[in-house]
Order: sequence, then C-alpha cells, then structure tokens
Amino acid sequence: MKRNRKREPLRLGTVTKSLVICACVAISGVGYVWQKNAIYRLGDEIKKREALLSSAQKRNLMLAAQLAHLESPSELETKCQEYNLSLVAPKESQVVRLYEPGPEWDVQMASTPLPSRLPAQQQAKLQLRNPQARALAQ
Amino acid sequence: MTLAPQHGRALIVVGALASVFMALAFRLFDLHVLQHKELSAMAQANREQVVHRLGRRGSILDAGGNLLANSLSVHIVTADATITAPHAAEIAEKLAPALKMDVESLTQKLSGQSRYVRLNPRVKLDEDAVQQIRAMKLKGIYFEDQFVRSYPNGPLASHVIGFVDAEQKGVQGIEASMDDYLQGQAGYEVVERDRKGREIRALRTEDIGPQDGLNVVLTVNQVIEHIAEQELDKAMQEFRPQAGVIIVSRPATGEILAMSSRPTFDPTDMAATDADARRNRCISDVAEPGSTFKIVVCSGALNEGIVTLADQFDCENGAFLYAGRVLHDAHPFGVLSVEEILFHSSNIGAAKVGLRMGPSRLYEYVRRYGFGHKTGIDLPGEVSGIAHPLARWNSLSITRIPMGHEIAVTPLQMLMAMNTIANNGVRMKPMIVKSVVTEDGAPVLQYRPQAVGPVITARTCELMKTALRKVVGPEGTAPKAGLGGFDVAGKTGTAQKIENGQYVRKYYSSFVGFFPASNPQISILVSLDDPVGNVYYGGSVAGPVFRAVAEKVAEYLGMEPQTPPTEVAKVS
Repeated sequence: MKRNRKREPLRLGTVTKSLVICACVAISGVGYVWQKNAIYRLGDEIKKREALLSSAQKRNLMLAAQLAHLESPSELETKCQEYNLSLVAPKESQVVRLYEPGPEWDVQMASTPLPSRLPAQQQAKLQLRNPQARALAQ
Repeated sequence: MTLAPQHGRALIVVGALASVFMALAFRLFDLHVLQHKELSAMAQANREQVVHRLGRRGSILDAGGNLLANSLSVHIVTADATITAPHAAEIAEKLAPALKMDVESLTQKLSGQSRYVRLNPRVKLDEDAVQQIRAMKLKGIYFEDQFVRSYPNGPLASHVIGFVDAEQKGVQGIEASMDDYLQGQAGYEVVERDRKGREIRALRTEDIGPQDGLNVVLTVNQVIEHIAEQELDKAMQEFRPQAGVIIVSRPATGEILAMSSRPTFDPTDMAATDADARRNRCISDVAEPGSTFKIVVCSGALNEGIVTLADQFDCENGAFLYAGRVLHDAHPFGVLSVEEILFHSSNIGAAKVGLRMGPSRLYEYVRRYGFGHKTGIDLPGEVSGIAHPLARWNSLSITRIPMGHEIAVTPLQMLMAMNTIANNGVRMKPMIVKSVVTEDGAPVLQYRPQAVGPVITARTCELMKTALRKVVGPEGTAPKAGLGGFDVAGKTGTAQKIENGQYVRKYYSSFVGFFPASNPQISILVSLDDPVGNVYYGGSVAGPVFRAVAEKVAEYLGMEPQTPPTEVAKVS
C-alpha cells in the first residue's frame, strides 16, 4: 500500500479553503460565546442599574416625605420657637401692594387713571414700561 | 461453515452493546419526545420563578402640591435560621442596634430551625439602614420589601385624608373614597436563577412592571387647615367642649380649604386612637342648627316677596303662646323688623315669619337649600341629616323649624346654605378633590365647581347680606366675630342639646359667616359641642374663633383689606 501512495504537493486552494472554513467555524464559535458573555454581562449591568434606580426611587420617596414633614406648618412653627427667631407676620400697614400689569389691565390703564393709591414715581415707571398703554393713552 | 470461537464472542459483545445503546436510545427518545411536554414543563418550573412586584399607592397632595400622604418602601429583615444558627450570637450582636432589639431575643430567633424567620416585623427599615446591613455581608439574612403609608403632617387634616389598613386599602376619608385611583397595580417578572439563587437578568422572559397609583390633589390648603386646627385646639382648651368643628370654604366654587374636627387622631399611630375620634363630625354628625337656620326662613320669605327687611313683627316681649306651647326668646323684644329679627336672633320673630310663609313654602326652601340630602362631597360617611316631610310636621313645627329646631343638619350642610347666600343664591356642591394626576403631574381627571341650582335671587342675597352684616355689628349677636379690615356677614347659633328626648342645659354654639360681605371670598363655620362654663352663646364662643381664623386666613391669602391701613408703611 505504501508503495502505491504518490507524494502529491498540497494544493494552496484546498488549504486556503480549509483554513477559511476552520477560521469561520472558530470565529463563529468564539463570537457566539463572546456574544453570549456580553449578553450575560449586560444583563448583570442592567440588573445592577435596576437595583440602583429602585433604590434611588425609594430614597426619593423617603426624602419627599421628610421634606414634607420639614415644610409642614407645625414643624416650621416649632423651629421658629426653637431658634427664637421672633418671626411675626407683617401688619397690613407694613405691606405695599404692587399691581402687576397684564394685557387686560393695559387696556384698562389706557382709559382710566392709575390707582391713586400708587405713588407718583411708581405710576411713572408703570407708564414707561407699558408701551401699549402709553400708545393707547396718547 | 462454523464461526470461529472469537467471532462468536465478538458477536455476543456487539449484540450486548447494541442492546445497551438501543435501550439508551429508546430512553432518550422517551425523555425527549414522548415525555417532552411534561418534563420540559417540570424543568422550566425548576428554573423559572414568577416574582410579583407591588405597585406603589398614589400620594395625596394639598391644593399647593404639598405632600399630605405618600407610600414609602420599607424593608423587613428575615433570616434562614438553618444558616444563621452556627453564628447566631455574632450576627445578633451586629444586627441588634439596627433592628432596635436586644441581642438575646435576636440570638434566640437566629438559632432556631425554621428556614423563614421574621426578625422584627414592627421595625421598618429604610434604604440607608438596609445598605448598612447589606454591607455587613451576613449569611442567611434577607430583606422583604413592603409599602407603608406615611403622613408627613401627622394628625393634620386626618379626618379628610383618612387612613389605610394593613393591606394598604383605604378605610376612611380620601384614602377610601379615592381608593380606585390611589391603588397601584401589581406587576410581575418571570426570572431564572443561578445555583446561588441570584437572578440571571439576561434570561428574564417576562417583565410586566407594576403601575403606581395616581396622585389625588385636594382643594384643602395645608396652611389654612393648620390655622383652623390651631384655633380649634385653642377653643377646645378654652371652652372644653365635647367636640368641635371648623370648616373653611370658598363660596363661589364650593371648594373646601380646611375641614377640621375634634377629637382627632393621628393616622401614623392608629393603635392609639378610638373610633369616636376617627369620625369626621363635619359630615357625619347631625344636630339641631339653632338660630343659624333663621337664614333659611328669612331668605325664603324675602325671596317669595312675603316680607321685606323693613316689615315688622311683634315679638311678644319674649314669650309667644302658639298651639298650646310657649316659645321664648333669649332676650325679650317688642316689635322688630325682619332685619332686626336676624341680627337680634329672635326666635319668636323667626317663628312669625315662618307662620306668614306657611309650611309648604318653608319646606320647599328647606329642601332647596339641600337639607335632608347629602351634599355629595367626595368623602365617605356623609349623612343626609333630618328634614321631616310635611306629612310628619305637627302643629308646632311651623314655629320651631324657623328657629332651627325639629331639624338636624351637618355642619357642612349649614355652611353650604350660608355659601348659597354668599354666592348670589346659587348653591354649589362642596368640592374636596381638585384633580387626579399622574406622578409627573399630568392631569387624568379635573374636577370643576358644580352648581346644584339657584335657591334664591341675587336681590334676596343682597338683602340678606345687609341684615347679616349687622349680626357682627355692635347691636348684633356676634360683635366679637367682626374683622378689622373686612365687612363680615354671618349668623350665630346657640342650639340646646337633646338628651334622652329632653332639652337639657347643654348647647351647640356656632357661628357661620363669610367675608368680605360685598364680594365673598371665604366662608367659615365654627361649631362647638357643649362648651363648659357660663359662656355658651354662639356669638361669644364661636364668634371669636371665627374672627381668629378669618384674620389669619385673610393674612395668609394676602387679601387686601377693604378699609385702608391706619399706619404709614415703612419700607427700607
């Protein structure tokens, strides 16, 4: 049998084909494993982030409740007394009410004089920053 | 031809191997094909687990968006005692401070035989505490998520907000009436776990997230509620009544800005409250309204044109005999006009107006004002009150109902009747819920003010306001209810209580009014049940409380006084 065998040179095409097929199979295998790994790794990361998000949401709820408690009128009153801040509501005589000009008021202003209650300086300021009213008045 | 002996042995071996492989092949076929359905289901059940996730209950907010109730996620610590037993003492020492338990009892729990032990169900751990315990990396210690209801303002507006049971289901107040919106929907996940019981996230097949409940926004303002409750507490201390209520509302819309009731309860500590304190007396308690009810007969008579404000009635010097019974006034009066009957609060005068009006017309106005019917407020436990039909009236009814006897109303009904006068004769449905919104504030349901219908004309309202302004004047029954910068219109009530079918010397003292009378913005009802001491008249007991609440509410809302300030403003 040995004697019948002929020594033939390796054909480049065949070798290349074989190598390409082997490489393809190997790449596919490695790629599959790599992708599977990536999926699991990403899954783990998603899980961690989900846990973080859930934890942050829970903490947010807790902080919202704490904030609401700290902002509650009774708590604010207690703190005012505790720190002896001597805060009192302003008397009506200490309040200066300003009128906010709006579109309807602009038209009204054009036809009627400004409330006499406003100081002259303020009246002038209002007139100046109200071009529509100024134009209508003219 | 005979086989060589080695060939025979070879055949036997081949035959045996072939049989074994055939058997294996059959078994594989059986497992993979014939029993595939059952076995794959079993394998899946071993691998997969359905994890249920609770939806968070929605929050309750006040009109300004301040949180009144929300649900917090807390954790309960559990243990697998079969794992913790060998190191029970060591673990107990580490856990005890966080769980607020003594080391001994904790050690006992950790060294049992059970695979599931709740270490301390009463201590709800927040996220920070859980992180601390997790950092200890204790084997056999686990956490269970749970939602608990939190009320950051404690007992503030507790009767309106209500409370939930252990299953997080609303039992009272808004928690109960808006339960369908507040309740979240549970979700679930189908997960696969690894050998250590950890979830393999990539193999999660189904992920239906839970849906949080919607948020309910109330018309109640927490600052106004605080003002009302503070003043009610002061009145409870000063007059020591059995109970008391204050309601603040906007007459034009029917919005309830504050609704407080005493005795009260703290929803964060339900174990310490009794059923009596949980009752919202503003809607569930009825009583004879007394003189506040005179607004019904007088406005009805004025509206029908039967009387004018100037029409005069003889008030019989304080004793009026009718149908065999004598009706008394608190103070003897001679001849009074309708206006004077209102601001002096003459029972005899009101009875005579009622007599002139006649039973059917009087009854019609009683119904028109909404007495005997629920107001329809979005709170559970509201009662209709008692307004007997005409067929059940006796010969005295026509003189007793005008002065607020033989009829029982809730404080809210009385306030809504006064609001009708403030609102140019249109009765509004009381509003306690403003909207239902999603977590990010998008409206799902928007409530609008609802007019029930006209009761009296605007002209009649103006006449009534004229008379009711005088109630807080120097000649009226409630000069102490008057405000510095605003004109107030209101009516006092001092109704005798009935015990065992007899009138006794105990009273409901009330005042119901609104301001500014010319353009009503706010209406307030104050009612105290059986104030102790010699002072029991509505004007003297409830009047000053009305004034205190009204002053603070006006200040808080920045309402501009009708009369200009006396001092010169100093602005630096």
